[in-house]
Amino acid sequence: MSGLRRSAAVLAAASLLAAGCGTGAPQGDPNAPLEVWTRSLDDTAKVYEKIFADFTAKTGIKIDYKPVYNDFDKRMQERAASKDLPDLVITDVSALGVYQSQGMATEIDRAGFAGGADLVERAWGNAKGSDGKYYGVPISTQAQATFIRKDWREKLGKPVPTTWAELVDLAKAFTTGDPDGNGQSDTYGMLVPGSTDRGYLAWWASSYIWQAGGDILAQDGGKYRVAVDSPGTVAAVEWLRGMFCDTVAGGRPVVQPGALTTITNDAHTFFEQGKAGIYLTGPYMMGRFDKAPGKDKYEVIASPKGPNGSAVLGEGENMYLMAGSARPADQKKLAEFLVSPDAQKAGMQGVPRPVVRLPVNSKVDVNAVYNDPRWSTVAKVYADSARPFPNVPNFQPFRQQTAETLNALFARCGIDIRGELGKLAANLNKELKAQGIAK
Amino acid sequence: MSTGVAQRCDTALGWGSGRVGMVGRAAMCVAALLVFCGPLITVFSGAFDHSPDPTKLSLLPNNPSTINFEVAGERGIWGYLVNSLVIAGGGLLLQVSVSVFAAYALARKKFRAQALVMVAVLTTMMLPEEVIAIPLSLTIGQLGLKGTLLGVILPLGAWGFSIFVMTEFMKEIPVELEEAAKVDGASELRIFAQIVVPLCRPALGVVAVFGFTMIWDQYLLPLIVATEPADYTLTVALASLRSDDQVGPGVVLAGALLALVPSLLVYLSLQKSFLRGITSGAVKG
Amino acid sequence: MTTLATQDVDPAASGGGAVGLHPVRRRHRRRLTGTLTPWLFLAPALLIFLLFKYIPMAEGIRLSLFNVRPFLGDLWVGLDNYIAVLTDERFQSALGRTLILAFGQTVGSMVLGFALALLLEGSARSLWFVRSAVFLPVVAATAVVGEIWRLLYFPADEGFLNSVLAWFGIGAQPFLDSPDTALWSVMGVGIWKGAPYDMVIILAGLAGIDRQLYESSAIDGATTLQRLRHVTLPALRPVITILLTLAAIRGLRVFTEVYVLTGGGPAGSTDVWMTRVFSLGFERNELGVASAGSVILFLVTLLLTLLVQYYRRRKEAV
Repeated sequence: MSGLRRSAAVLAAASLLAAGCGTGAPQGDPNAPLEVWTRSLDDTAKVYEKIFADFTAKTGIKIDYKPVYNDFDKRMQERAASKDLPDLVITDVSALGVYQSQGMATEIDRAGFAGGADLVERAWGNAKGSDGKYYGVPISTQAQATFIRKDWREKLGKPVPTTWAELVDLAKAFTTGDPDGNGQSDTYGMLVPGSTDRGYLAWWASSYIWQAGGDILAQDGGKYRVAVDSPGTVAAVEWLRGMFCDTVAGGRPVVQPGALTTITNDAHTFFEQGKAGIYLTGPYMMGRFDKAPGKDKYEVIASPKGPNGSAVLGEGENMYLMAGSARPADQKKLAEFLVSPDAQKAGMQGVPRPVVRLPVNSKVDVNAVYNDPRWSTVAKVYADSARPFPNVPNFQPFRQQTAETLNALFARCGIDIRGELGKLAANLNKELKAQGIAK
Repeated sequence: MSTGVAQRCDTALGWGSGRVGMVGRAAMCVAALLVFCGPLITVFSGAFDHSPDPTKLSLLPNNPSTINFEVAGERGIWGYLVNSLVIAGGGLLLQVSVSVFAAYALARKKFRAQALVMVAVLTTMMLPEEVIAIPLSLTIGQLGLKGTLLGVILPLGAWGFSIFVMTEFMKEIPVELEEAAKVDGASELRIFAQIVVPLCRPALGVVAVFGFTMIWDQYLLPLIVATEPADYTLTVALASLRSDDQVGPGVVLAGALLALVPSLLVYLSLQKSFLRGITSGAVKG
Repeated sequence: MTTLATQDVDPAASGGGAVGLHPVRRRHRRRLTGTLTPWLFLAPALLIFLLFKYIPMAEGIRLSLFNVRPFLGDLWVGLDNYIAVLTDERFQSALGRTLILAFGQTVGSMVLGFALALLLEGSARSLWFVRSAVFLPVVAATAVVGEIWRLLYFPADEGFLNSVLAWFGIGAQPFLDSPDTALWSVMGVGIWKGAPYDMVIILAGLAGIDRQLYESSAIDGATTLQRLRHVTLPALRPVITILLTLAAIRGLRVFTEVYVLTGGGPAGSTDVWMTRVFSLGFERNELGVASAGSVILFLVTLLLTLLVQYYRRRKEAV
């Protein structure tokens, strides 16, 4: 046994020694450059690089910029666990709840934020936490738009859809009418990213649920109640299920095959390659779709009206000033710079897509900067009918569970919609109570 | 070999040389090849296709082009390939050495707590990697290994499976050789390096092939060790290509091809010793 | 060259070169190095395990007892996380699916691997080639395999596998896209990747069977089938038992295949234990509950493995 004990001692000593040698630059070093993360791929990272270089030139504050795309949340969580967060993070509005409830993002004093008065009120709403305080600063907004294969539609002699009925009619025509003229029935009407991964399906479906007067959660004073079993939601889900379950000619539904496991990125390929003709997605996809199927082949329109209007999901990205930074003044300086008209304009210049989709600064004119009627459409949709997800402490569980129930309802055409939504409502209610915001 | 009976007793099914049997067997071999290799070939055709149709994979590219590799190259795929190769090379070297050392102690020595060590080694094979990821990243951070290739290589340096395989194999080596060497006054290290290790060559093939596959498959570890995109490996890059909404399936398949080819090469170059190692009983579990 | 090198290390390593030491001290030192030697050989492996496996696992166990909130302070919740996992309906159904998948993949790979081994047994060069080629799925990275099969399984008429089925007059299957077929489709990929591995091990077992047994059974006039049943299978039993148990235990931890193919969908129909843990931990930020889930899985696998080891040892002893 003595051998074992001695070796254990040696091992322990060695590991202590090794642990003592740690050198990672810890957060809190006031001389290190500001560490900034954005949820970006290469193309948008280049746009940010330029903007940050401008900032450094202007202020002398150095920036250590890290674009992160896949597994952004996982990597952020890992940094949080080591209590070493980046100084500033630019990512989805939807991160707000988690950052707020976990104490990862610091509160913003809106009144003391230089240039804050120029920011669009609706955009500020994206940064408001469940307690009414601000935990981020908006940098970019957008509204979902409906992309339609214009050439297909014209070939089949259909009008631009303005109502749900016309939308379904067009989807059916795209599925049965061989709009690409290759003699095979291999085209589909609706393109749906219906995977439950990160709750995609709920993301896509929420616009249609609102258009029917339904909702996932409804705000009631400072509290929330579940609305996922409301008549409006039931109606929306019934209508959506028709697209998955009702077969048109040839025994096929209007939705593309594999929809229920399709993540957004796979969905783009279907539109790009002319497999499906109607796609509700973010306007930043124009850059890719201009190359294929081609700029002249598709159109970008406001969502056709449902029974209760044409609300669509309007989200965007916020800047979060992360907790534990040694340089709160510089954090704020950078955030103030990024919403200034010049930086916002620079952010709208990216090829193939901008990092600032719609500017948050009211002094920036969308029509003048983009000079593209499609972006003007998106700007109008945002101003008229964009809606964000509610500012609950953590919306992710709601989105996830809703996506899973919808996925099940669209996968099994026979099961009872009202019953399943009722079960979902009960679960969401539990979650509301757990988050302490149930009415 | 010459008589029919002897030949029929060569294999469990008693495959003969009759024409009908031969044709049937050949047909089944072709079917097996199609089932097990066909899917891998589609990666080649898709990667070299200008814009492969995700709905209709084929065995030959419809519109041959190398554009996918150019696009993947713009996204830094070659750098990731280099990272992956360095990690695989360094990791494998370390892993195999560590396993051989550990197996020598476990198979050729008698000491107290031996069974306990065996259980401890087994235990490491049962930890769900996906969830120790966050605590593991803290350790790697404390060691100052964040953002280094060494941070990926070191944790892969010991693998229960390969220690196990080596141990089982070493147990089969007759003790006489070793004892004779001992009588001649050979040192411990010399016995180890000049007698035991060379006899383990077939098992080394097994351990190398599986070790490479295991290292090449790593996703979460390189992801959490990375501090910036330049640190990514091929598997991580593959995931980011997949979620890159500006590239299509062709580019993803080009990445997949680059991730596939090295494992095929490693296997094919080691397969002789690999198959011999397995046949001589290296893998019992 | 080697001689030189070994001469250099010689005295230090063996302790035998310490000529001139007092005989008693010398003996003592030899005994000490004797007990120390195995530990020196084990040291690198144990150090790596300690740092990168045991310490993180201990930390994981600690986290499983907390509501984890790094910036607000962790809250001690005792065994609540474990109760949450064990009473969660979705964990329970994930457990059922995990067992089905582990069982199906294990048995399926074994049967197919056995058939392949029987087909490809023999010393001809062409057989060697087929064997090597058939083994390729085992070495292909899981991420690549997932990528390939998601495309092969494309659920419309024009999908690759569906076109193949159409030749045989079978209608289009939804594969990964329907909750009724997704789990089976995932299992199919697991079998595809697992069967060649089993094949190679079984081939090794087949090679070890005494040919005289075949000859004597041929003389007894046994048919091939009888021979397979009474000679081959009994001889392979030890190999098969070990393969089955180990694969089944590994199967409980199935994650990557499912994650890359379906992410647990559609409608949760392929959600297994580890995908559940993973989505709790990383998608819902419930690190404590996720840790509890993985600790449970770890304990179950550990228990199963120890049982198998115990059983093996007892059989070996007999």
